[in-house]
Amino acid sequence: MKRYVVLLAYEPAEWARADPSSRQSFVEDHRAFEQYVEARGRCRSSAALADVDTATTLGRGVGDARTVSDGPLGELAEPIGGYYDVELPDLDSAISAARRLPGAYTVEVRPVVDVEGHALA
Amino acid sequence: MTPDGVLAATVRAEWGRLVSLLLAAYRRLDLVEDALGDAVEAAARTWVRDGVPERPAAWLHTVARRRVLDRLRAEAMHTRKEPLLVVDADTAPRREGSMADPGGIVEDDRLRLVLMCCHPALAPEVASALALRLVVGVPTADVARLFLVPEPTMAARITRGKKKIVAAGIPFAMPDAEDLPARMRIVAQTAYLAFTAGYAPGSGPDLLRADLAGEAVGLVRVTSQLRPGEPVLLALLALMLLQHSRRDARVDGHGRLVLLPDQDRTRWHHDEVSEGVELLARVGPSPDPLVESYRLQGLIAAEHALAPTPDATRWDRICEAYDALLGVNPSPAVRLARAVALAERDGPRAGLAGLEGLDDELPASHRVPAVRGELLARLGDVRAATAALDTAIARCANDVERTHLEMRRAALSTKQPRR
Repeated sequence: MKRYVVLLAYEPAEWARADPSSRQSFVEDHRAFEQYVEARGRCRSSAALADVDTATTLGRGVGDARTVSDGPLGELAEPIGGYYDVELPDLDSAISAARRLPGAYTVEVRPVVDVEGHALA
Repeated sequence: MTPDGVLAATVRAEWGRLVSLLLAAYRRLDLVEDALGDAVEAAARTWVRDGVPERPAAWLHTVARRRVLDRLRAEAMHTRKEPLLVVDADTAPRREGSMADPGGIVEDDRLRLVLMCCHPALAPEVASALALRLVVGVPTADVARLFLVPEPTMAARITRGKKKIVAAGIPFAMPDAEDLPARMRIVAQTAYLAFTAGYAPGSGPDLLRADLAGEAVGLVRVTSQLRPGEPVLLALLALMLLQHSRRDARVDGHGRLVLLPDQDRTRWHHDEVSEGVELLARVGPSPDPLVESYRLQGLIAAEHALAPTPDATRWDRICEAYDALLGVNPSPAVRLARAVALAERDGPRAGLAGLEGLDDELPASHRVPAVRGELLARLGDVRAATAALDTAIARCANDVERTHLEMRRAALSTKQPRR
């Protein structure tokens, strides 16, 4: 099994504008993704993130040298709005799973690496 | 055949199969190519001395396998763990691949290899290079020449591709049946990118690397044998063969470009023309725009290839095919080619009308003013033709093509302008 983090990017206003029926289809698409993943591997965790204007960013530095500022890492046209941490057999299955997510998302599939000497959760 | 000849022929015919076998057995994409390279070197040294082995491919496989095992043992001593290639359930149990297995399993492995290299998650130029290197066995130096980059750049590109395959989990596996047609289209596009790279003019003496474009034809041929009847592969193979059949006539003895009407048609490869035409007959009109685009370009190439003389070219049919092509692929390049065909069928004014709007879409191209200059010259407007050719010459980055344009301009200035 390979482990991937699937990052979801979308125009935040889209959800705010969505009517109940299109919100329902978002939910159904997520469910289709989750079912596909559970059938072939597993989902370790997932989260939907609050709007980027609630984000706080710390700059490089040690301890107090880090600056704290308002806003996300880099300004993306479509900010990251959520993620899935999944285990699947290969990239092809990760791509197939991602195709099931709402069409309004841009989706990035990123493999997870083991960091030597540090067992990740 | 000399030992070197046998070795070259074996590498050509068996490279992809050997790579597939070793990958299925050891799942180490980083080791397989080097191990096979070492085996070929060893063969070059020892076959001359000891004679050619009875089964040359099996010999290469055994030596390469030993190399892989040596490396694996050395790693085990250092307790290093390199990431393994992802394989599917049908591949996994066959730990000991053997050349003695001539059956369908090995053929499937070669298709897995093609699909792994031509994966949509790889950048097209990376996928093309990997496919030529791993499936067809083209040496890295030649792949570099094909794509007009220095050899270290190409070596780094191939290494980067292999790393991405392993790290991202691009599998050595057959996709789901529902995904296979889309994946075959990617294989076709990857191969065609490599093919057209061979015809992109280089600089200096390397005007055309058509011999290397032929390696891309080999890639499509292999894949087409593994997936018989796949329309996108048949249409592409036909198109490539018909275009490639003219390679020997495209450059003269002085390394100068020879345009289609001036080519010596006896130097065309007529066996490839026949094969291309036969393949085209097997591909009907398709709802798939990619298949249709290859098929229509193939029909156009076939009209040129079958015309006994330039004057006998059926421009009416070529224009029809371009009109249809514009429907599936309305790109500026197609419009430019169509304008040339219109000029042949309906005269230079129709061609000039066909060029309208292309300057805005291809502002850096030397081809639009070059065609305009040619058509204006046919109308006798020497002044405007010269101006257009001047623009083309100023924009043209390729030595050989520029020389050709300068010759055209010089020929114009000897004519009297028409009053």
